[in-house]
Amino acid sequence: MKALINKAAAVFFHHATWAGYWETVFQMVNPSWRDGYYQARVKSVSTLNATTVQLVLSPQKRWPKHTAGQHIALTIEVNGKLVTRVFTIASGQKSRQDEGNIRLVIRVKKDGALTPYLSALLSKTASKSASKVSVNISAPMGNFVMPKAALLDKLETSSLEQAAPEQIKPIVMIAGGSGITPFIAMLEGLNSASSDNLQSRPVHLLYFAKENEHLLTQELAEYKRLNTYFTYELLCRQKDGGVEQRLASHTDSHWMVCGPQSLYDEVANTHANLPPANDASLDSEHFAAFPVATAQTSGEKAFFSLSHNGSSLSVDNQQTLLTQLQQANRPVTYGCGMGICHQCQCVKKRGVVRDTRTGALSDNAEQLIQLCVSQAVTDLELQA
Amino acid sequence: MITTISTNTVNKSTVNKSIVNEGQVLKGSSSRLNSGKNANEQTSQRSSKDIDVGTKKTPDYTKLATQLDAVKTDVKSKIGSEDAAYIRRVILAQRGCEWTGRILLMLGFIQPLLWVVGVLSLATAKILDNMEIGHNVMHGQYDWMNDKHINSKAYEWDIACDGSSWNRVHNYEHHTYTNIIGKDRDFGYGLLRLSNDFRWRVKNLWQFITYVMLSVMFQWGVSYHEMAAERVFFGKKKDNRKNQLSHAELKRRFFSKGARQLVKDYVLFPLLAGPFFLYVFTGNLVANLLRNLWTSTIIFCGHFTGDVQTFSAEDCVDETQGQWYYRQGLGSSNIKGGKLFHVLTGHLSFQIEHHLFPDIPARRYKEMAPQVQAIFKEHGMHYNTGGFFKQYASVLKRIVRYSFP
Ligand code: FES
Repeated sequence: MKALINKAAAVFFHHATWAGYWETVFQMVNPSWRDGYYQARVKSVSTLNATTVQLVLSPQKRWPKHTAGQHIALTIEVNGKLVTRVFTIASGQKSRQDEGNIRLVIRVKKDGALTPYLSALLSKTASKSASKVSVNISAPMGNFVMPKAALLDKLETSSLEQAAPEQIKPIVMIAGGSGITPFIAMLEGLNSASSDNLQSRPVHLLYFAKENEHLLTQELAEYKRLNTYFTYELLCRQKDGGVEQRLASHTDSHWMVCGPQSLYDEVANTHANLPPANDASLDSEHFAAFPVATAQTSGEKAFFSLSHNGSSLSVDNQQTLLTQLQQANRPVTYGCGMGICHQCQCVKKRGVVRDTRTGALSDNAEQLIQLCVSQAVTDLELQA
Repeated sequence: MITTISTNTVNKSTVNKSIVNEGQVLKGSSSRLNSGKNANEQTSQRSSKDIDVGTKKTPDYTKLATQLDAVKTDVKSKIGSEDAAYIRRVILAQRGCEWTGRILLMLGFIQPLLWVVGVLSLATAKILDNMEIGHNVMHGQYDWMNDKHINSKAYEWDIACDGSSWNRVHNYEHHTYTNIIGKDRDFGYGLLRLSNDFRWRVKNLWQFITYVMLSVMFQWGVSYHEMAAERVFFGKKKDNRKNQLSHAELKRRFFSKGARQLVKDYVLFPLLAGPFFLYVFTGNLVANLLRNLWTSTIIFCGHFTGDVQTFSAEDCVDETQGQWYYRQGLGSSNIKGGKLFHVLTGHLSFQIEHHLFPDIPARRYKEMAPQVQAIFKEHGMHYNTGGFFKQYASVLKRIVRYSFP
């Protein structure tokens, strides 16, 4: 049916979708109505600490159910421009069911693209008008979730509910900075889990952050009070040493790590160095920590990896992307080669490029770029 | 280097005024020219050029580039929610006009006047769609919004021409090689002789009629344009063309988009109207006609007024940014008018600004125009602008003038 309607839109109104044809009209009534996105009302905005903001959203009814640990893309309009960022949902299914809410914990960067919007929102909340504000979100994505199956080797196929308590593998969560968010969501789920086995599964959390910058510590304390199988340590790398020694006593567990690349590398290394007879298994979600582009990167020649329509090649930061794709014999459309005609345009999924005309650096998020006037500044993902 | 010829030496009261850039012809490949008679002309032109060089300064291209870049940077920093809201408003207006038009066409049986209003409304919708929305969005002027529908990759317009074909010829060739004879096929559309750069042929005698036909059929002209130049159906392909799509693919797209338009306007919509088939059929026909006349007239006024200059390919080798700006500026002309007029032209009434800054949202050209004009003046460049009737008369004169050898 939907396909038929869209076909009609294409035939009669030369628009790919019917919703797209009407979008601007719907937006008269509901400014955040957008074809291809879900809407969510902003329930509240509050600061957790100097650099972190908590955003409580109430997604529209048809938004699919999420599993603790999944993330969404949040899209908001900042000065006419749609900016999209990905965040882990820092709340479980239960609060969605009970109150209809999900929560995002957002680190505010000084000149991040969302920052002006969030601070405007904060001042609006002060004047109690935030509930009228809506944003766009994507469906929940990702599979960094609590393992469902029993984890001891012999029981690989049977379900957790049927396993004997002593056969269940304990879980170690390793969080770095704002990487605590998926774990908070999972912990919320632990208490309301459907079976005793799920509730009594031992969970230990190693939470690394800068001194005094651990987030949501009150909630952690509360979960510990409610669930005797849950324990945690608040750690600081300068003071408490690296990850390796902490993990030494958990080699029989299932490890889950979420945090910056450096933390993940350390955990992965530790895991690789374990004696082979070991039981530890590893799940991870690391922020493809957007490499911050610095001015000096422009000077020295550097190489980055470019994924173009799925296949990857290495590019440098001296020539334009168009030139390098042509040299690699990739099928690219182009015209003028000087930034006028937009023939070479393609979608950059992520990464930063420099505009060779102005030297301006792009955003990290998805946007259209012109290959002929763009140079790589970070690793890139493109889709023609 | 690009040379200019001042028109001062030519009698202003005659159509000769519109002889453009004789210097180019001299420098350009003389194989294009007729021998004999033209040779004399060349000599005389050369002398006039020599005189000119003494009195007329060539612009300081570096400075020109810096100044125009500054205008651009300044406006770029202002682009934001206002522009996003504006284009959405225009789209909203377009939807309003389109539906009003389509419904009123069917009510023509109650009162013919309703049909007339319907036709005008539908024509307005098509004009908005083609000019202020389609043309500008497809130029990438609103790509910064990151909107799924309002961007140059996704937009398709209500016209027989396939959007991406237009993108190739218009955005690439026409905007990059503006008025370079042999490279910008938009100059005369391969149908009209509009300067001495082209050899006179007998068929040019009736090119005024060709022009009228082209205007009436403009959407098909635009649509066929790429294929004509690629010699898809007849003629020999020129060697200097690199084509990105096979002829079969071009043909397929031409027919599929063209056929879709025909079926939509003259079969589906009329059929939907049931007993009012004819009202809708003729209404669509007239609305398309009005749109064709309007768009072609505006575009001719922007490019083929008497003073617009042409350039030769040799001149543009290793062109600097300043020289590029210079060529863009002298290859276009503006039309003065009110706010609504500008919207209906898709702000192509600011053709000069559009050619200098093709991907700045067109509604900003108005505020850039006075600065651009001042810069042109400083460099002694002609800023070609005038009222609609003056510019249009100048276009017609040019077409007639070059009908003759
Ligand atoms: S090739 Fe023309 S804009 Fe890139």
